[in-house]
Amino acid sequence: MKVLLFGLIAEKAGASEIDVQGSSTGELRQALTGRIVGLDRMMYAIAVDRRIVHEDIPLTGSEEIAVLPPFAGG
Amino acid sequence: MSATKQHKVRDIFVEGPIDPDFVGESIAKHATRHDIGAHEVFLGQVRGDEVDGKPVQAIAYTAYRDMALERMTAIREEAFARWPSMTCLHVHHSLGTIKTGELCFMVLASAPHRQAAREAVAWVVDRVKSELPIFGKEILPDSTHAWKVNR
Repeated sequence: MKVLLFGLIAEKAGASEIDVQGSSTGELRQALTGRIVGLDRMMYAIAVDRRIVHEDIPLTGSEEIAVLPPFAGG
Repeated sequence: MSATKQHKVRDIFVEGPIDPDFVGESIAKHATRHDIGAHEVFLGQVRGDEVDGKPVQAIAYTAYRDMALERMTAIREEAFARWPSMTCLHVHHSLGTIKTGELCFMVLASAPHRQAAREAVAWVVDRVKSELPIFGKEILPDSTHAWKVNR
């Protein structure tokens, strides 16, 4: 599934989106760690359909997924 | 019908810095609203922090636009629920490269009396900083950079 990347994480990945497979947010985290060097040492949140998800939830593949580094607005 | 109107998603993002004249004009636009007795405004300015001994020259802002606007709509609705006397609330945030000393964030609340306007602005500023997916790349001399993190 398509995953949107932002800020520091997009920089590390060298792309603003990547294609990663996972049937849950937990699996997605694992897959992302394998694809983006240093991600395991970064602070980030996963947003599913534009809401931050802390727990491990199932994914159907039709959701809008984003990986978000710490916010810096204001 | 009016409920749908309230849920309208407004674009808070502006490309480039917020012009100080725009702040004045935003306030002036309320002159015809005679139920307003107080405006409270917060302005965020890009600070020249030192990162590894090097001064920040600018911050390049990017955002996860759709999520940021969705969150802002929810924050706005909650603000009007908490301070029902509030007449209006205007939020603007910059995207793109904003130099140190330039304005990047504006929150303006207007109300019949000062207390609602003051409280709402302080609350909205905190919520925007902690909940809107906005990212800031601090541009340093010698074309290096660091990523800003809100405390």
